[in-house]
Amino acid sequence: MDLVTRKRSKINSYILIVSFLIFAYYLIITIGPLFYNIYMSLSKTDLMSEWTFVGLRNYLSIFKDQIFLKSLLHNFIYILVMVPVGIGSSLLIAFLIYNTNGFAKKTYLFMFFAPVVTSLIAVSVIWRLLYYPNVGLFARVIQGLFHIEAPLFLQDPNIALLCIILMDIWKDTGLRVVVLHAGMEEIPESVFDSARIDGASFFSTFFRIIIPLLRHQIIFLAAIYSINALRVFGQVYMMTGNPAGGPAHSTQVLVVRMYQEAFLYTKFGRGAAISMIVFIMLFGLVYLEIKSFSKGWEY
Amino acid sequence: MLKNKKIKLNSNRISRYASRFTLHLILIIGSFAMIVPFLWMIISSFKPNIDIISVNFQLFSSNWTLENYQKIFREMPILRAYLNSLFVATVATFFTVLSSSAAGYLFAKLRFWGRDALFFIVLGSIMIPAEIVIIPLYLMISKVSLVNSYTALIAPFLINAFGVFLMRQFIYGIPNENIEAARIDGASDWRIYFNIIIPLIKPCIAVVGILTFIWTYDNFLWALVVVSETKMMTLPLILGRYAMTEGGVIAGASMATTSIVVIPVLIVYAFFQRFFIKGLSMTGIKA
Repeated sequence: MDLVTRKRSKINSYILIVSFLIFAYYLIITIGPLFYNIYMSLSKTDLMSEWTFVGLRNYLSIFKDQIFLKSLLHNFIYILVMVPVGIGSSLLIAFLIYNTNGFAKKTYLFMFFAPVVTSLIAVSVIWRLLYYPNVGLFARVIQGLFHIEAPLFLQDPNIALLCIILMDIWKDTGLRVVVLHAGMEEIPESVFDSARIDGASFFSTFFRIIIPLLRHQIIFLAAIYSINALRVFGQVYMMTGNPAGGPAHSTQVLVVRMYQEAFLYTKFGRGAAISMIVFIMLFGLVYLEIKSFSKGWEY
Repeated sequence: MLKNKKIKLNSNRISRYASRFTLHLILIIGSFAMIVPFLWMIISSFKPNIDIISVNFQLFSSNWTLENYQKIFREMPILRAYLNSLFVATVATFFTVLSSSAAGYLFAKLRFWGRDALFFIVLGSIMIPAEIVIIPLYLMISKVSLVNSYTALIAPFLINAFGVFLMRQFIYGIPNENIEAARIDGASDWRIYFNIIIPLIKPCIAVVGILTFIWTYDNFLWALVVVSETKMMTLPLILGRYAMTEGGVIAGASMATTSIVVIPVLIVYAFFQRFFIKGLSMTGIKA
């Protein structure tokens, strides 16, 4: 008894050191920089003179910037295309895989997941070649099958952004399929049996049973992919980097714009203001994500 | 009557086979679409540039060559970039596994003042991804003259909120009796962490480790900002520079480079599939 009390009252060095290190690290790497960022976004920051407080002037000026407004629009398009198309196609594939079993099922999951583990930058370089006008894989397939002039893909301002989104959807299909498939496995067999006895068709099983029962996973994925769509950088930088932001700024997105403002034109204040706008948009989405993540499903 | 029934059964069976067949056909085409870009990459990496951009298409070039690979090793610091990438990813992974598991034990099993607030900070950091704080972080790094250093490349990736969360969940499931017994024997929490917790959380270490490795190996934006010297470049930066400056003209060389970036990861994935799928599908976030 005496021993135990003595141990309790002694300062626990593990708690002290580990919690101090975690706190200090986050203070330096996230919390501190966040406040520094807010301060910077409210300042006039050129490299020569002292920074001066200018209030919301950076924010007002970026909202007058056409390219910034385009970027904002493109990020919204990104979300609006990637989230429904990505989740819809993955739901369908997951349901098809759910109906297979044994070795075939394992192989399909393995194949669909393969692009997920590869480097986004490397994949972007590969897809750039696939999209290459006239001689890329897509152009050759379109010309060979339909005997029509293939589009210029990444060099066509009308579809360049969609081409990048398509690559993004392709790359992460496996991830969504795995999440949704795992959800389907958890649905009790009896639900499908009674649907079959009631004579439910493929489509009504899909829309009336699968989708409502997987709503947690769908919300989780919608949150995740909205976040990813807001943070898009590497794929745009790599696939349409020359000229930066694509032909006629057609693939310009927020983080690319922030990068250009801060690191090409050294306008840190404006860059910081853009990142704060991304931050505000992320806020609600991340809350949604943490909430559904905390449900902690088992795979 | 009987005959009718038999016919019906038969047609049922046929339609079942037909739908099985369609099911597998769609999935096989889908799986194929997942690997076609990689096959295209490998095939192109062995072709002379002339053949890649030639209008007359041949899947396998008649004069296949190793020139692209020789070229990237000759003209680019690709080996150095490889070592840089492996070094950065390994060190970051080691620290993340260590810090996330230590924090996981802290939050799962120990009680202390301010624990919930600290956990809130850790989870809240998910709301502040690298893109948000990249400008201030860069300015801080340049103020202490650490631009173009390994420290700068690794520093933002020493702990991971998702890792902490996964570890906490996992350690929470370890029975308290084990820990209490050790404590009565006089073991400190350091001893308990190293001797009891670590051996029990190996699967979770594998998941968090692979996740962190993939994230740091692929990291692009932070590396792009903080590295300008060629000798400090990581693989994604080399890829970026090569693909950006010369465009499609050197298609063969860029495909050779992507091949040596992507293929090792795919091989490791083939062996440790389970951990990859588990880790990546639980978080779904890109680094």
